[in-house]
Amino acid sequence: MLWHKAWLETRWRFVTGLLILTVMTGVSVYEYVLALRMMPLADSVLAGDASPLGAVLRDAITVQREFRGFIWYNAFRDNLTTMGVLFAVLLGCGGVLAEGKKGTALFTLSLPVTRRRLLGTRAGMGLAQCFVIAMIPPLTIPLLAPAVGQQFSVVDALAHGLCLFFVGALFYSLAAFLSTMFGDFWRPLLIAFGVACVAAMAQFAAPEYGLFRIMNGEDYFRNGTLPWMGFVTSAVLASALLYGAAETLERRDF
Amino acid sequence: MSDHLAIETADLWKRYDDVEALRGLNLQVPTGSICGFLGRNGAGKTTAIKVLLGMARPTKGTARVLGVAPNDAGAAAMRQRIGFVSDEKDLYDYMTVGEIIAFTRPLFPGWRRELEQTYLATFELPPHRGIKDLSRGTRTKLALLLALCRGAELLILDEPTSGLDPAMAEDVLRALVGHVAGQETTIFFSSHQLSEVDQICDHVAIVDRGRLVLGGALDDLRGRYQRVQFVFAGEAPHASLKTPGIVRVQRQGRVLTVLTNDSEAVIADARALSPASIDASPVTLKDIFLESVRTED
Repeated sequence: MLWHKAWLETRWRFVTGLLILTVMTGVSVYEYVLALRMMPLADSVLAGDASPLGAVLRDAITVQREFRGFIWYNAFRDNLTTMGVLFAVLLGCGGVLAEGKKGTALFTLSLPVTRRRLLGTRAGMGLAQCFVIAMIPPLTIPLLAPAVGQQFSVVDALAHGLCLFFVGALFYSLAAFLSTMFGDFWRPLLIAFGVACVAAMAQFAAPEYGLFRIMNGEDYFRNGTLPWMGFVTSAVLASALLYGAAETLERRDF
Repeated sequence: MSDHLAIETADLWKRYDDVEALRGLNLQVPTGSICGFLGRNGAGKTTAIKVLLGMARPTKGTARVLGVAPNDAGAAAMRQRIGFVSDEKDLYDYMTVGEIIAFTRPLFPGWRRELEQTYLATFELPPHRGIKDLSRGTRTKLALLLALCRGAELLILDEPTSGLDPAMAEDVLRALVGHVAGQETTIFFSSHQLSEVDQICDHVAIVDRGRLVLGGALDDLRGRYQRVQFVFAGEAPHASLKTPGIVRVQRQGRVLTVLTNDSEAVIADARALSPASIDASPVTLKDIFLESVRTED
């Protein structure tokens, strides 16, 4: 029944996230038709531009000339990464400490379950939701691609889904950890977004080690290799954050 | 720690930042009793209840509830034997009445299905109504149903009738008394309504500033304490009474009123002041409470 409670508490955030990410991914598929029409125009505009910005734009256009590249650039690199972080953090916020604000924490804590079990159930539900949000939108691409005369591999969709999930789980765990430190909804949310912004800026300094490079599956797109080290690092950090959350919650007075 | 005690605390302290909420609380609630837990606002009642349920950790001292320390590994199993209604009575507003009952039921192996049906009918609780749409009174009744149907050995109720109109409060008290009559349940019941405590409790524990100032069987306390009134021909004398057992002395014109737990000794002592008349009368719980918390000022 604790699973049911965790589901009821997060279902609207989950459904909203799943819908938005799926629709955005579907839109990306259909945008490819428009993008193909725009390519010659972009080529002519950038033809004489030898500036560094021009080089970046030419590279972006080159990548997007093919359907697989267009999808990676628009869906995985931009929309799914940004919105994936947003909804992972939203799903991670809340929990028994935030229930204190609503006045229901005392009822929850009077139940014959340990705080670890409460947190574990919520984390299990949240990570399962993150997994679905990471997997379903990419899997719509192979389904919709034939509608624009293209093909997209299911294996590629699953691989990118895994990339989204592992880093999404890390942001989920960060929000869950912060939610055992702050009793309101907003501070964990804002701090986790702050961390995401810092991580995005750090990626400019060291692009090859960036969190978002793992999340957008750039290595898989360019070289066909999954970022296993990134997965392991994300999983270890997420586990450490959830362990920290359990320890913090255990010591808390209500 | 004794088997015949449902709740026992020894020198229990709890500090929140710079506030000492509990200051050496020594509490004993006999198994099978209905114990009223009284105190002024901020006396430490809710903090004590939170410590007993493992929601807050004591700074110092020990507590045992049904023989288990509330922060031990077995505390979750202990809570299976406890029904609790919090002061706020807030329940999950995203569930319906039926959903929260279905949520709570499997967590308690001793859940009483027949009581669930009885209380649903008695309290007129609509199973399909959302909790967010319930009035405070109906929410209180639902919280009570969720506590009573657990088949608990101990009910801890933090101001169960606060915010209820007198008719609803009466319904709730009647349900409690009816519930206890049918089984061996201990009730530990905090309230500001002395009349309610007087009505249903057989034991009381009065706390003030985090300490127990008076506790025991209500009949014993009532029998032990008496109000002795001395009326003098002129102004009541200011001479102090040194007799042990005096809780409070009050002078008003020709009348000297003494609250004591040894009326015979006080009367013998006061005869030296030559009162015109002496009248000893029993006291109410309200008198005992007010005098107990006043003496600490």
